[in-house]
Amino acid sequence: MKFKKIFNDQRVVLTLLTIALFIFFGLRNSAFFNVDFVIYPLLRDGATLTVIGLAQLCVLSIGHLNLAVGRMAAVSALVAGASYQYWGLTLVQGAILGVLAGALLGAITGWIIVKSQVNAFIVTLAMDFALLGLVTFIYVTFTGATAAFTTKPAGMDYWRSKSLADFCLGPICGPKALPMMLVPAIFCLILVSFMFSKTRLGRELLSTGSNLRAAKLSGIPVENRVMTAHIFSGTLAGIGGLMLAYTNGSFTAAIGSQVMLPSFLGPVLGGTLLAGGAVAVLGTFIGTMMTLVIRQGLSVQGIGLETLNIALGLVLLLALSVGQIQKMFTSIKLRGKK
Amino acid sequence: MKKSLLAAVAAVALLLSGCSSSGDSAGSADGFGAIKVALVPGGAHPYFQPWKDGGAAAVAEFGVGGTEFNETGEWDQTKHNAAIDAMAAQGYNAFGVFGVSPTDINTTFAGLKAKGFAVGSLASCPGGYDIVKEPQKNSADFCLSTDTGKAAYLAATAVIKEMGGKGNLVHLTGNAVDANTIRRMDGVKQAIAETGGKVKLLTTITDIDSDLQSATKAVTDLLAAKGKQINGIVTTAYNPAVAATDGVSSTKLPIKVIAIDDDQKILDAIKSGVISGTVVQNPWGQGYVGSWVLSALGSKKCTMNTPGLYVDSGSFLVTKDNVDTYNDTRQATSKEILAAFQNEYMTCK
Repeated sequence: MKFKKIFNDQRVVLTLLTIALFIFFGLRNSAFFNVDFVIYPLLRDGATLTVIGLAQLCVLSIGHLNLAVGRMAAVSALVAGASYQYWGLTLVQGAILGVLAGALLGAITGWIIVKSQVNAFIVTLAMDFALLGLVTFIYVTFTGATAAFTTKPAGMDYWRSKSLADFCLGPICGPKALPMMLVPAIFCLILVSFMFSKTRLGRELLSTGSNLRAAKLSGIPVENRVMTAHIFSGTLAGIGGLMLAYTNGSFTAAIGSQVMLPSFLGPVLGGTLLAGGAVAVLGTFIGTMMTLVIRQGLSVQGIGLETLNIALGLVLLLALSVGQIQKMFTSIKLRGKK
Repeated sequence: MKKSLLAAVAAVALLLSGCSSSGDSAGSADGFGAIKVALVPGGAHPYFQPWKDGGAAAVAEFGVGGTEFNETGEWDQTKHNAAIDAMAAQGYNAFGVFGVSPTDINTTFAGLKAKGFAVGSLASCPGGYDIVKEPQKNSADFCLSTDTGKAAYLAATAVIKEMGGKGNLVHLTGNAVDANTIRRMDGVKQAIAETGGKVKLLTTITDIDSDLQSATKAVTDLLAAKGKQINGIVTTAYNPAVAATDGVSSTKLPIKVIAIDDDQKILDAIKSGVISGTVVQNPWGQGYVGSWVLSALGSKKCTMNTPGLYVDSGSFLVTKDNVDTYNDTRQATSKEILAAFQNEYMTCK
């Protein structure tokens, strides 16, 4: 009975599926267990995409979408990159400025949605286009042929290349497979998880997503909560943008241009509802890692581009259907008992 | 419930912390046979396909251990890095790479070099500085690429000559925030400036090289709106070149076109006189020469005299006169570049 309950939790199923896939790919080709070239970069990319997934999750909690999540990440990276290049700010100072820029963009988006009463899909889509133009314009105008801010503040390479093995408490050091990039991701996971599970604000956000009218009638300031969700989304997108820039090595207009779909994939695979009202914070990490394991696993097998995408699509479809398949089996069993 | 979830997560953590590197990084090779060259463009694009043949020719001619072409980067630096890592995990120990982001790729190169691999920047050099003046800033061992500014200048000069040295010119090209595109735009502007105002740059259309559909739409719109004002089109990206060839062919407008690269459609259009010519680059030579140089470096038989050196892989104007023979010229040039590496740019044991 207890086992049944455990396996009804989508996160447990996804975790087991991810582990199974990890072992499967490793048994097929032992190169997949290589720490330096597979596990470490996999976790580093997973950390960044998880934070961007959390940015999407915050607005999904109120039943909204943020199609500009990647571009908000790009603006944060741009602000941080400019602050390093032109004002000589330290890594942390520039990062704070970048994240604040993301939060500001989130606030503007939320404010437009609240005041105009236009669907979040339309507003964030328009925001995406506007920011694309702005980011491109700024890079071309200020950096010319380089089209990037290339100044690296002290400590930037540390976040890209170091692992917890370089982080020691006395004689005990962390494992080499765990990148330093996991630290901000874990910090964000704990913070977002705490907010949704332990605070009134989190419950109000979920209530707003679950039933807007009911939330309004219960006295929840829903307009404020819409703003709050978008500010959180912009802030986390900003952190994700900085993580992308630190990982890749410079601040370019291309940052965040490919993260919009993955930002949905992690939360939705993890169990977050697109309609709002339910979120899966840890599930976002697990869902993100699963897609990365599949992709890199197939890549290490030497599978070509077309086959890789077909296989990725099929496995994801299967993973997303796990819940439905479970329900189907349960209803068949119940019918059998009757 | 929460306990079971934590247990599952802990199991993953245990698995990860227990893992150790299964492969060593770069192999200390005795000869070319021990070198496996990974040729990794930023994503799928017809331009890079000749890398395969160039690499295969190096395997057959020089006994390189093998070459593998991987185009799963999907034009995203993160995915591109993952594709490179996957090749490294599989035992490839020399890398010829086209970076998605010229300013990011140096970081990737530095990472590969730190593991002891031979690394070449092919078809594009790292950006953010002048590689000719400061080759030491290139974290790869060398860069073998088209001088994009020079190729664009060559193409623009050719089309201006076809236009009779006067009129309105349009430039069709790729990603506006790519340093190579900006160099191409500068090359075209330089050729126009040399006409002393007789040729005017009507417009430059950027960001139409992602796919043929976008390029075709842009060209159709352009010809519908301004077709009669245009005297010449110079294209410095693959998809706009094919689209411009199709557009001029179907509208029969008296526009002179100099395209880029050697798609069969472009070559046929040159032969039939629809377009004036094309500027071809040398991806075959990049694969061929690049694989030899990487093997020589990886096997420790040779070292670069100037680490990070930039070498032009060549660009060639193809017109009706040499459309059947240009490939021989290109292969001969590749052999000359290889000889220059062997005798001039490298010191070999």
